[in-house]
Amino acid sequence: MKTLELDQVVKQYGDKTAVNGVSFDVEEGEIYGLLGANGAGKTTTMRMVLSLIYPDGGSIKYNGKPYYKGLEKIFGYLPEERGLYPKVKVSEQLLYLAQLRGMARKDADKSLKYWLERFNVPENYNKKIEELSKGNQQKIGFIASILHNPKIVIMDEAFSGLDPVNVELMKETVKELRDNGTSILFSTHRMEHVEELCRNISILQKGNAVIQGNLRELKSKYPREKVVLRTVGAVEGLEQIAGVSEATRTEEGYFIRITDESAGQHILQAAMSQTEVKHFEIKEPTLNEIFIKVVGGESNA
Amino acid sequence: MRNLGTVIGFTLRTKMMTKAFIVTTIILALIMTIGVNVPYLISLFSKDEPMKIGLLQGNYPVIEQSLEKSMAEQKNKDLMLLSYPNTTEDQLKKDIEAGKIDGYLKLEKQVEGTTEQFPKVIYTGTDSLGMSKENVLTSTLTLLKTKWVAKGALSEEQFRQLNEPISFESVKLQANGESKDPEKEDANKGISMMVVMVLIVLFFMTNQMTGNMIASEVTQEKSSRIMEILITSVSPLAQMFGKIIGMFLLGLIQIVVFLVVVLANLMLPHNIEPLKEMNFDISMIDPAVIGLGLLLYVLGYFLYATLYAAVGSIVSRTEDLGQAIMPIALLSMVAFYIPIFSISAPNTMLVKVASYIPFFTPTTMLLRIGVGDYAWWELVVSIALLLVSVLLFGYLSAKIYRTGVLMYGKRPSWKEIRKAMKAYKI
Repeated sequence: MKTLELDQVVKQYGDKTAVNGVSFDVEEGEIYGLLGANGAGKTTTMRMVLSLIYPDGGSIKYNGKPYYKGLEKIFGYLPEERGLYPKVKVSEQLLYLAQLRGMARKDADKSLKYWLERFNVPENYNKKIEELSKGNQQKIGFIASILHNPKIVIMDEAFSGLDPVNVELMKETVKELRDNGTSILFSTHRMEHVEELCRNISILQKGNAVIQGNLRELKSKYPREKVVLRTVGAVEGLEQIAGVSEATRTEEGYFIRITDESAGQHILQAAMSQTEVKHFEIKEPTLNEIFIKVVGGESNA
Repeated sequence: MRNLGTVIGFTLRTKMMTKAFIVTTIILALIMTIGVNVPYLISLFSKDEPMKIGLLQGNYPVIEQSLEKSMAEQKNKDLMLLSYPNTTEDQLKKDIEAGKIDGYLKLEKQVEGTTEQFPKVIYTGTDSLGMSKENVLTSTLTLLKTKWVAKGALSEEQFRQLNEPISFESVKLQANGESKDPEKEDANKGISMMVVMVLIVLFFMTNQMTGNMIASEVTQEKSSRIMEILITSVSPLAQMFGKIIGMFLLGLIQIVVFLVVVLANLMLPHNIEPLKEMNFDISMIDPAVIGLGLLLYVLGYFLYATLYAAVGSIVSRTEDLGQAIMPIALLSMVAFYIPIFSISAPNTMLVKVASYIPFFTPTTMLLRIGVGDYAWWELVVSIALLLVSVLLFGYLSAKIYRTGVLMYGKRPSWKEIRKAMKAYKI
């Protein structure tokens, strides 16, 4: 059964349409990527999923049912602006939030200690949020959203403001949650995270889902336009091959832009006829490139 | 319900542990300790010895002797008249310098036309006599003057009658024909008035303080976005009332601390005497005033607190809060000033009308209960109105709260609020 089903969800603010007929499903144990430029409607969509705001049209179903009481106990939410009390101790507020989500204080305390240990910040237990660095606040916010073992986790910009070591740590945690059957709706501007974590994605632009589906399939749909060639000697006449738009010499070989995928074979033949080829690759487009192509210059992200 | 308890507990724990709360409680408790001890401190500084005044004798022996005699009969604690027969003024002046007496009285001949007038009384001293002592002397002298002017024309009996003070008594007409001891009632009224004043001031102060705290707390939660997490985990109604009740309990704890401090100070041995002198007895406090006062207090608190929470939820930034809570602060000020200015005239139309307006009921009805007149049905109606508006405004505020906490940026228009309020369940 699908954990989360959005069907033609619409949200309007005044005469501005923030989300315009977005549909997608998230299965159990899946990380779903929600991408888009700033102001594309990601946060609005997430808020509707959380039932913080109500859609003006369409429907959202949880485990096949519309919003029902008790969902708040299986929701986990990490808002973009962390959402913690600056002047309250970490332990005090995290235990409070976990209790509100129906966890016993004692269990929550045990769980909190485990997570603080795991994120290498056990000393923060008795500190106030305002005393912590931004990265550490981020970690606490992350812990707050998963402390009560939620089944549906919504993370808005989960990894922003973290150093690479901590990003790895959190990615590991997110994968672990996924493997334990948690459904995660995930938004970020870091495409490499999406490529690593998500099976399915939606790219939103001005409230519309412009691209949607399985990440692998999406990528294969986009033409391969880049060739990386590393050779021992020089290769002449690459520009003259049909379908090659640009060839630049790099440190160890060539970087070639092609307009036609079949040109790749001609390039390889030409190179092999002239010198020894060490490396040849027709590169798949990265999500980053797809994103920029789709969202285009209108994005300021 | 379980969540309500969790919210109350969290509010109490986090607020009670703040330095601000602990420090203000200690400071206020210290101020109260000093206040309770003021009568004792004053008595420490004031001398118990009466003021000694010499009387220069010789000019009018009859009047001087009668003055001495009647002053001795009065046994005034503050004033003692010492007679100085056969002395000169210089000797008396020397005695003042030596500190034996504080001053002296001299009777001086006063003639108007050909008739001799009652002598002029001159007081010479290091300090002026002061109102109360001067009054004692002039009233005594007035009597002597009457006697002097009548010069034996009146019999002793007539003279005694002249001296009798006029007996004046005010009797209050009771609706049920029950008669009360007016003097005792007066004393009780005084105590009731004090209790009413204390409760009104307490209501105003705690209302403003906790109200501001609630509103700014809500705004902070909203601006730090923790509200989004809270709303997805607990119903806004439980959240709002949990906070309000938590703050209420916090205020209650503070008041209990103050009460304990004040009572402990009153029980100190050196404070019992001055209190007795002031005619104060705890049993004189009317339990109805206290009981009804507390009921009105609690209802009034909830009425205002829900409004403060609602306003706090509409504002996005703490800087804008002051302006937004202004109307409520004004309401509570009106509720404060109407009874304070009407305390000596509690039965005016203004007070009667105000006691039916829920925002003013907690203070004005209290005034009527304490020092004014009221019929039981008036009490029932005004409390019923207050209760209904607590429920109504509680519901409305929870609606606004649920709606307002998600409206960021510019202050939403009434139309937007109304539209959104229809949509959200609480």
